[in-house]
Amino acid sequence: MLSVEEIDAYYGNVKVLEKINFSAKEGKLLGIIGPNGSGKTTLLKVISKIIKPSVGTVLLNEFDISKMGKRELARKMAVVPQESSTSFSFTAMEIVLMGRTPHLKRFETEGLEDLEVAKRCMKLTNCSNLAERQIDELSGGELQKVIIARALAQEPKVLLMDEPTSHLDIKNQIEILELMKRLTDDRLIVIAVFHDLNMASRYCEELILLKEGKIVSFGRTEEVLTSENIRNVFDISTSIKRDPLTNSLSLMVIPKKKEKEKIKESLRIHIICGGGSGSILMHSLDEEYEITAGVIHELDTDFEVAKALSIDMVSEAPFSPIGDERYEENLDMIRRSDIVIIANMPVGFGNIKNLYAAISAIEDKKEVLIIDETPIEERDFTDGEATEIFKSLREDGGIFVKDMHELLDRLENY
Amino acid sequence: MKRRWILILIALIFVLAISILVSIAVGSTNIPLRTIAKIIVDHKRAFLSAEETIILQIRLPRVLLGILVGMALSVSGTTMQTLFKNPMADPYIIGISSGAAFGAVLAMRLSPTLVPLMAIVCAISTAFIVYNIAKVGGKLPVNTLLLSGIAVGYFLSAITSFMIFNSGEGLHQVVFWMMGGLWGANWDRVEIIILPICIGMVILYLFSKDMNVMLLGEESAEHLGIDVETLKKIMLIISSIITAAAVSMSGIIGFVGLIVPHIMRIMVGPDHRILLPTSALAGGILLVLADTMARTMGEIPVGIITALFGAPFFIYLLRSRKRLY
Repeated sequence: MLSVEEIDAYYGNVKVLEKINFSAKEGKLLGIIGPNGSGKTTLLKVISKIIKPSVGTVLLNEFDISKMGKRELARKMAVVPQESSTSFSFTAMEIVLMGRTPHLKRFETEGLEDLEVAKRCMKLTNCSNLAERQIDELSGGELQKVIIARALAQEPKVLLMDEPTSHLDIKNQIEILELMKRLTDDRLIVIAVFHDLNMASRYCEELILLKEGKIVSFGRTEEVLTSENIRNVFDISTSIKRDPLTNSLSLMVIPKKKEKEKIKESLRIHIICGGGSGSILMHSLDEEYEITAGVIHELDTDFEVAKALSIDMVSEAPFSPIGDERYEENLDMIRRSDIVIIANMPVGFGNIKNLYAAISAIEDKKEVLIIDETPIEERDFTDGEATEIFKSLREDGGIFVKDMHELLDRLENY
Repeated sequence: MKRRWILILIALIFVLAISILVSIAVGSTNIPLRTIAKIIVDHKRAFLSAEETIILQIRLPRVLLGILVGMALSVSGTTMQTLFKNPMADPYIIGISSGAAFGAVLAMRLSPTLVPLMAIVCAISTAFIVYNIAKVGGKLPVNTLLLSGIAVGYFLSAITSFMIFNSGEGLHQVVFWMMGGLWGANWDRVEIIILPICIGMVILYLFSKDMNVMLLGEESAEHLGIDVETLKKIMLIISSIITAAAVSMSGIIGFVGLIVPHIMRIMVGPDHRILLPTSALAGGILLVLADTMARTMGEIPVGIITALFGAPFFIYLLRSRKRLY
């Protein structure tokens, strides 16, 4: 176990780390996240003894690392840097063999045993085929695998990685991260700095969230990666959901609301949407108008978007037809609005009542704008009932626009 | 050690032996190989012929001095290139040549026999000054070291040039000295520098594995358990001493220390465990052959020969192998 206790560190007079406390256990991938300049790399440098903390200790299995010699530490801890210089043409195998340096005496050359370790590590990182290649000929991803193999050849107890994938393309990123996950077994502590929060959430069991040199949150990934924490540290709004495919948290940035004066604040618009048809609409109108929406089914994309934008809405349980109560609530909302927009949504028996609500909106002398991008016949799943309603909407004075652009143009003129 | 390495070393030692023989045989009087063999095998019989005097008192010390100087410059150049991680680095990069020249000019004003002594004293003092300028806390940032070496070098060169400019005819000798040559070779000089150069090279060789790791970058080396700051100091101090020893006896011979390491890197790769010994041997060979040529061409400065023939050879190697390192 690696414990970091009460660490303070300075660059000159500037305090870069303050009261850092955490511990990392074997078998769990621990990620360090935080904005630029929050002290992520510095923290790694303190752990690897490149920077001396002014206060505090780093203990590896109860031993203070500041009391260890460099060679002794190098036998216990290996570091994979962000980028490695490749100016001199050693072969990949020679580079990996250098990982044996802390295990060799001054006059000792690498023996068969060292060669075996090197070969095993290259196999583990999937780069045995590169053994005889010159490292300055390798691609970024290949090089990083060789460097990780070198770190493993040190046979360390702790592996530190500083944004190990930041210079790699997406395929290589995944490959390296899968590799890291595989390496994190019962004997190895892996601590890695991450830039990409989604990658961190997908591969780390535990996270440390840093802000201005202090730990904001430390714990299991789902405890650390919350919208509140992310807003607090990065000053961005996010929607964090469990991705059904990977079963890990996935984070999406929501564009920051512009603090624009709502010129047309008096105008209230009610959007009838569903199936994702209203998402963009809500985004683009929310900046300028008072928006309401309904009735939307829970779990629908539009439901998530409206929630994220804190739009006032009427919602119904998933997969249920719109109940009378919700229908009435929706009508109330329509009555309070000036304009009603029907998005380019599919209509089924679950949401057909929304169209009846639109009819009563016209009867209430509301302006009803209908986005008719896909012909209604193609998105009518009610055996023609929706098509009929559309016909009467047209006859009663509903305004049909062909797409969102035309809609926005029309709204401009109110 | 790999078999390929041993073969390369044997080949180079063989070439060096041939070069020595050629150099002893060729000169203003050509001496047949059989006579050379006879003199070397039983020179105790003391048949003080003119040929024996030429070989034992003139050519042999000169060849040995050439080998030592060539080895020292090449090994020092290799070390400096690794220390600075810069292919342009050479043994003189931290101002040692300027310091030596300054000492030589001072000495010539007093007494020409003092030249080697003053050169080595001033060269080592220069290295010491540069080292202390560049040191920050306990650390030695290589960029600061490089720049302070250049600055101190220029400063001393300015003083040297001014002294030469002011001296009229008197100091023209020093201009030849600054081009470098093995004119002054004798057994005394060989004896003075053989120990510092040989011991220095052995010490550097002991750190060859660490120097390999240094090529990965200072921080990576640190992570692999190398005490980088100590290693840098050892590399700098030892290569300064052997360079100063060489320069004090032969003047400022250029090119060898810059190019030989590159040629050997192209031929044997970057691993210092083979690069250092092969560079030493190749430096010895290059300087002995160049000096032989310089002698037969009427004692022109050997630095002219090394550059004149070494540069095209190096360009040829560069073109035939795409990569430099």
